[in-house]
Amino acid sequence: METLLVPMICKVDKVIQETPDIRTYRLKFREEGMMEKFKYLPGQFVEFSLLGSGECTFCIASSGTRKGYFDCSIKKAGVVTADIHTSLEEGDEVGIRGPFGNWFPLDDIKGKNLLFVGGGIGLAPLRSLIQYCIDNRTDYKDFTILYGARTSADMCYKDEIKEWQDNKSLKVMLTIDKPEETWTSNVGVVPKILEDVVKPVIANTKVITCGPPIMIKYTIQSLIKLGFADKDIITTLEMKMQCGLGKCGRCNIGSTYVCKDGPVFTNEQLKSLPDEF
Amino acid sequence: MSVETFVTDKAGLVKFYEAIMAGHETYAPVEKFGKFDFKQVKSLSACDPESPIAKTQSIKPLFFPRSAKVMKYVATSAGTDVSEVDEDPLAVNRVIIGAKHCDARALQVLDKVYNWDYIDTDYQKRRENTVIISTRCDKADTHCFCTSLDYDVENMNAMDILVVNGSDGKIYIKSRTEKGSKLLNSDVTRHASRVPEAAAAPELKKQYDSFAASFRLKMDYKEVNAKLSKIFDTPEFDSVSGNCVSCNTCAFVCPTCHCFKISDEKVRDTGVRYKSYDSCNNGYFTLMAGGHNPRPAKYRRWRQRAMHKFVYYKERFGENLCVGCGKCTIACPVNISIFEVVNQVAEGNRQ
Repeated sequence: METLLVPMICKVDKVIQETPDIRTYRLKFREEGMMEKFKYLPGQFVEFSLLGSGECTFCIASSGTRKGYFDCSIKKAGVVTADIHTSLEEGDEVGIRGPFGNWFPLDDIKGKNLLFVGGGIGLAPLRSLIQYCIDNRTDYKDFTILYGARTSADMCYKDEIKEWQDNKSLKVMLTIDKPEETWTSNVGVVPKILEDVVKPVIANTKVITCGPPIMIKYTIQSLIKLGFADKDIITTLEMKMQCGLGKCGRCNIGSTYVCKDGPVFTNEQLKSLPDEF
Repeated sequence: MSVETFVTDKAGLVKFYEAIMAGHETYAPVEKFGKFDFKQVKSLSACDPESPIAKTQSIKPLFFPRSAKVMKYVATSAGTDVSEVDEDPLAVNRVIIGAKHCDARALQVLDKVYNWDYIDTDYQKRRENTVIISTRCDKADTHCFCTSLDYDVENMNAMDILVVNGSDGKIYIKSRTEKGSKLLNSDVTRHASRVPEAAAAPELKKQYDSFAASFRLKMDYKEVNAKLSKIFDTPEFDSVSGNCVSCNTCAFVCPTCHCFKISDEKVRDTGVRYKSYDSCNNGYFTLMAGGHNPRPAKYRRWRQRAMHKFVYYKERFGENLCVGCGKCTIACPVNISIFEVVNQVAEGNRQ
């Protein structure tokens, strides 16, 4: 175990200030050839060390189909993430362990309509799958993205969202909680826009959702109300993790190890777990 | 596997242990402040292989240290140098004497979690290179309930070598694994007499029966497993955990608790990463940055502790995560007993 807790060193290639409290770090392994060996699928996560400050769990926010780097989008939320925001800049080094966990059910979603429902920093794990699916676009039918944030300033990946909007094969809908003077898109919380504006096709559609726990809760309620089956609703859980190896015990929900059996679950699977997440 | 059986007397046992210490790195219970902990020893006078169970720490720290350095790192102008710590002192060939049966058994329970999916090779190496000699208790302590659980205390092979004090004044030494046989076939047994396995059997049985009859605590673990597995939301968890001060001592002395934390410490440009014991009783155990905590209340953390031991681990790995050693109860500053907790919760919900 001790050996498995020692990270590989990555260099920060680029820092993107997404919102006032979210930064995306584009990382490359320092060791020659390591980047090619680092194989991951959308939904997996890494243990990210700011050496001296601590180690945190972040999903990989980019897709392995985009070669030569990987992204972690980090919201300033606690002690280590605050240190990351104040001290980690381009050219600096971080420790990375991983990739860990399961991934989105790539076989199950093939040939289906895809509906992504994201809120705030919750777009990060979805972005990995969105990029993967865009890069394999012919494998999927309708492709809809609904993304909400508290304010327009709190929206992540603004440049990339513009690209998605310009991509004629995608339907992109944005919403913010309260009206703003220059905002011309939807206003209202994600579940409301989902029901009133998106009005998704239910048949042959897989929904992939992630956001703050409260948003996920109400989004799933809306999806069920709209007629989606539990097995067609896929989410990724936020859970305290440390080792990523199914040993340290803190991500347990009942006999499930979120770091190994998850973090990606269908709503059908979530309903079989003790209500403790 | 060939079973090697020897018989000797008190003086012969002393010579047996001394021969082991002379030829092998040996760990045994060493007294400090009235309590015993397993330390490396060079002579029998420094330790007591028959230390009282209620005052002896488990052997778990010899396989899973309480707090250990995992790596060192130095930040230089050229970049960060990460290096693993020096050679593992616990991975050498060694013999443990005076291990209690419950503690030896606990390692078999821990093997399950350490050897699934990612293999913990450090733990595995320590296990492979260690011969465990365990003396069977003559009498159960107040808080012991090993014989009530899901393992065969009498016949298990959790220890490599079994030592039993016969009622006839003789001492029986018997191998339980290949590793144990190999050690007994070396010259460490030169002061003992080899006997056929069957010759020792009646006295071993007699000693076990007398030991098994000495238990104050008895429970039907299957009934507890079954009842707890149907319970999740119950006020019983609140009432049984009310006094808990969340000191985590129960987890730190438990031979099967294995939750740990990873922490980094840095002084100027050099730092270390530690892996240290942690506990699900800690309020911050599942607290996430941003404030979300799936177990914000004490009763939820106690539910996790009880259910992990008697339901979840069993579901996942087929074993109870409790060997009935009573250490948590003895160490608890507010007298909470895991035996009482699981029985009260199971009982409180009896229809």
